[in-house]
This record gives sequence, C-alpha cells and structure tokens, in this order.
Amino acid sequence: MDSTVISDLLVGGILRGGMYVLMAMGLSLVFGVMRIPNFAHGEFYMLGAYFSYFACTLGGFPPAIAIVLAGIGGFVCGALMEKVTFYPLRKRSRGDWIMNSFLVTAGLSFILQNLAQALVGTDFKGVPQYWGGSINFAGLSVSTDRIVGFLIAMASVAIFWLFLKKTRTGNAIRAVSEHETGAMLMGIELNKIHTLTFALSSMLAAIAGAALLSIIPAYPTMGLQPLYKSWFVVILVGLGNIQATIIGGFLVGVIEAVSSFSLGAMWQDVVSLSIIILVLLVKPTGLFGKKMKV
Amino acid sequence: MLKLCNINAGYGKLGVLWNVSLEVNEGKFVALLGPNGVGKTTALRTISGIVTPSQGEIWFMGKKISGLPVQQITRLGISYVTDDGCLFSGMTVMENLLMGAYTIKDKQKVKNSLEKVFELFPRLAERKKQFAGSMSGGERKMLAIARGLMLEPKLMLVDEPSLGLAPKLVLDVFKTLKELTTIGVTVLLVEQNVNTTLKIVDSGYVLEQGSIVEEGSSQELRENDHIKKTYMGIA
Ligand SMILES: Nc1ncnc2c1ncn2[C@@H]1O[C@H](COP(=O)(O)OP(=O)(O)O)[C@@H](O)[C@H]1O
Ligand SMILES: [Mg+2]
Repeated sequence: MDSTVISDLLVGGILRGGMYVLMAMGLSLVFGVMRIPNFAHGEFYMLGAYFSYFACTLGGFPPAIAIVLAGIGGFVCGALMEKVTFYPLRKRSRGDWIMNSFLVTAGLSFILQNLAQALVGTDFKGVPQYWGGSINFAGLSVSTDRIVGFLIAMASVAIFWLFLKKTRTGNAIRAVSEHETGAMLMGIELNKIHTLTFALSSMLAAIAGAALLSIIPAYPTMGLQPLYKSWFVVILVGLGNIQATIIGGFLVGVIEAVSSFSLGAMWQDVVSLSIIILVLLVKPTGLFGKKMKV
Repeated sequence: MLKLCNINAGYGKLGVLWNVSLEVNEGKFVALLGPNGVGKTTALRTISGIVTPSQGEIWFMGKKISGLPVQQITRLGISYVTDDGCLFSGMTVMENLLMGAYTIKDKQKVKNSLEKVFELFPRLAERKKQFAGSMSGGERKMLAIARGLMLEPKLMLVDEPSLGLAPKLVLDVFKTLKELTTIGVTVLLVEQNVNTTLKIVDSGYVLEQGSIVEEGSSQELRENDHIKKTYMGIA
C-alpha cells in the first residue's frame, strides 16, 4: 500500500468511526446506567433522519437547525418511550430484568419500523446535499457534508463527555452506573436519572441519523446497520465503558475501511466480527474490561 | 429522634427482624451489637428504606418514615454508611464526596462541608484525585464516612466500620465517630466488636436471632452477666 491509500483508508475509517462513537456512546450509557441492552437504538437514528428530512423539506429550515431539531425530537421521543415502557416495567420486574428489557426493546424496534412504514412509506427520503461541495484534506478530496457530519459527531461527543464529567447531573448519571444503591443513598432520584439517560442516548442517535441524511437517506429499516455497528463497538471494548467506546468506535471504523479495501465491502462485517470474537476469547470483558469506566 | 416500634422485616418470605423496638436520642452515640447474621445490617437497611418493614413503624424527628423511598429518607437527613461502603469506585475521591452533597444546592454549604471533612480526614485531602476503587480498605472506610457526612446528616447509620481494619485504625474510626456526636451528629453504630464498642458509645442494644435481647447504657451492658459471658469471655 502506498501512502495515499493509507491516508485514504485512515480518513475514511475515522469519518465512519466518528459516527460509530456517537451511536455507541448512547448504547453503552443506557446499558451501564439502566442495564438495558437496547436493540431499538437504531430506530432513534432512523427517527433523527426523518426529523431532519421533514425539517428541511416541509419546514424549510437550514441544515444546522434541522439537525438540532432532530436531536431535540430524539430526546423527547426517548424520554416518552422510557416513561411509558421501561418505567412501568422496572416497577414490576425484579429478576431477569436484562432479558425482559431486551424483549421490550426488540418489540419497540419492530413497532417503530412498522410505524414509520405506515406513516411515510418505504421509499428513500433524503436531501441531495446539506452544504455541498468538497474539501481538500490530507491530499484527498472529501465531501463537505461528510466532514461537517463528522465535526458534528465529535462536538456532540465532546459536549456529552463534558456534561458527564463536569456537571452535577452528569456525575449523578455516572454514580448510578457505578453503584445503584449508593446513588439512591445519596438522595439521587433514580427514576429521573433513568429517563434522562434514555432521552440523551436517543438524542445522540437521532443526531447521528440527522447528520448523515445527505449521504444516507431516511427509510424505515435504516437503523439496523448502525445498530449492529454500535453493538460491535460496545462488545469490542466492554459494555458500559463509555470512555472506551470512543477508542472502539474509531477502531471499528478503521478496521472496516481497511477490510473493505483489501477484501471487498462484503467482507467488512466478517472481519469486524472475527476480530470481536477473537478479543472475547482472550478477554471476555472486552478490550478494556470494566476497569476504565465512564 | 429515631424510634423503631415493633418492627418485623426481612427479604421476601424470609423473616429476619422480629418485633424490634429501639430508640436513639439526639446527640447520642448508640450501638446495635450482635454476632454475625442476626439482622443488624437488615435493621439499618430497614431504617434507610432499602428494606420495607412488614410490620411496625419507624419515626424520625416526629415524622413517620417507614414506607418512604430511600431518596426521601436520605433527604430528611439520615445518612447510611454501609459495610461495603457503596462507593463509586470509578470516580475520584472528590467526585464521591460531591455526590454525598448531591441534595445540597447551596454551593457555599458544600464548600464548608468539604473543609470540615478534610479537616477530619486529612488523608482524603491528599488524595482528592485518586479513584475510590484504588484506595486501601481503611481509606475506603474513611471515604465512605466522609461522603456520608457531606449530606450534613442529622443521624448517621454506620455499619461495622471495624470490619477488615487493623485494631489501631478501628480505634481511630471510633474516635472520629465520637467526635461527630460532639458536633451535633447523632450516630447509630452497628458492631460485632462488643468489647471495644462498649468502651466508647453512650448506650447500646444487643440483637440476637433478629430480636433485641438486652439494652441499656454502656456501663450497664458492660456489667451485664449475659454479655460478659457471651461476648467478653468472662465467666
Ligand atoms: N439481600 C438479602 N437477601 C436475602 N437474605 C438476606 C439478604 N441479606 C441478608 N440476608 C439474610 O438475613 C439474615 C441477617 O443478615 P444481616 O442483616 O446481614 O445480619 P448481620 O448484619 O447482623 O450480620 C442472614 O440470615 C442473611 O443470610
Ligand atoms: Mg452486617
């Protein structure tokens, strides 16, 4: 491989990886704080894409506003979803919570996909471009929409990270994920933290879907691919380990870029999965285990 | 201040506490003593709301607290330092302490509490940035107590702080707790270590098989035949 190919692959991998980080962070947080293996995470990505589509086309908003609106929409939908499904479920189920909540998310995913299909149909709904044009970067020409999408992802990740680390509420979220009883004894209202966590996670997914709308149009089952990718990431680095998802997201992005270049696009998932299985065989808690938390 | 009236409590169908009544008066240092497995921890869990009693009532400062959720009981000013500490191990000492003051909105108050706590435990001041999970057993105990104090509790429940500590450290911890009662914090201490505990507390209760079998001032308990025989090895 010559150096332009390497930089091409690196840039491609990192651009992809940025989105995986954004998706995987919310997935990991929801598992860490609420013990929910969320298989409806991709549907919030889908919702975000539709929100942005309608904000652009029907609302006539500029791209930046559309993406922000999609994020807010994701937050509200996530909060509602938590209140009407997981909140009552948590009150009733004690044992087997992980299995029960998994089944609920699988059901939710199915319902949301079908709802989207019934309401807006199965055809692709996209915008030809957000900002358009391309930027020369490290000797490559990359479309502006990709770069800006990546920057939006990174900004969201950074803001979210600061929120978790520096604010009282963010610290409370981490405390709940560290030790639920301990958090309760500090006077932290678990119900509020759970709703907020799910809403924030949904918001991040919606931002991801919205930011990519000009590259990947909206359609009802579009959430599956990013769902799998974000599960790759969290399984690779260890569930509930938010700091490590940042590394993991880029890692998976680069692995995919390299394997689709050298073996063909259809092999990229095979390679990612094989690597994950290998890692889990050697280190069942994922690359970073539980040591390096949030 | 705190009053338990005829409490029965347990886990599901398993009954642990039977008709437990006890009282802790303001400003006092009271011990709940007893061997392993008799229900001391369960008693504290019941007071703090983690376990709901199946019978009886708990009153705190004129308010019935049995049946209230844990968070609400905490907000009333009861701080529970569990035997395992319930620390946030992936967070720093400082972050743990600030979480202790989660319910306090007034920043100046939090700052004052921090100063007070660091004065009491200078060692924690040196290790603000260290992760709670990487500290030694004794330091974790200190952090758990310090975090419990950040809430500015009126009553502190402390579960077996001596567990796994060197004898000298145990004495230090007990002295610190004693100091707390002089600055207006009432303490209910759970211990197995009868001998040492009775030297320092004001009064105590002895729990056996889930029921209170003896109660009195520490002097009375020290002179009690049953206690001498069973716990102090004096015939
Ligand atoms: N979470 C729990 N679930 C079921 N049983 C428990 C639980 N915790 C304690 N027990 C049981 O309750 C009894 C009293 O335990 P505990 O209150 O921890 O005693 P102590 O603190 O005096 O050693 C023991 O028989 C113990 O096995
Ligand atoms: Mg105990």
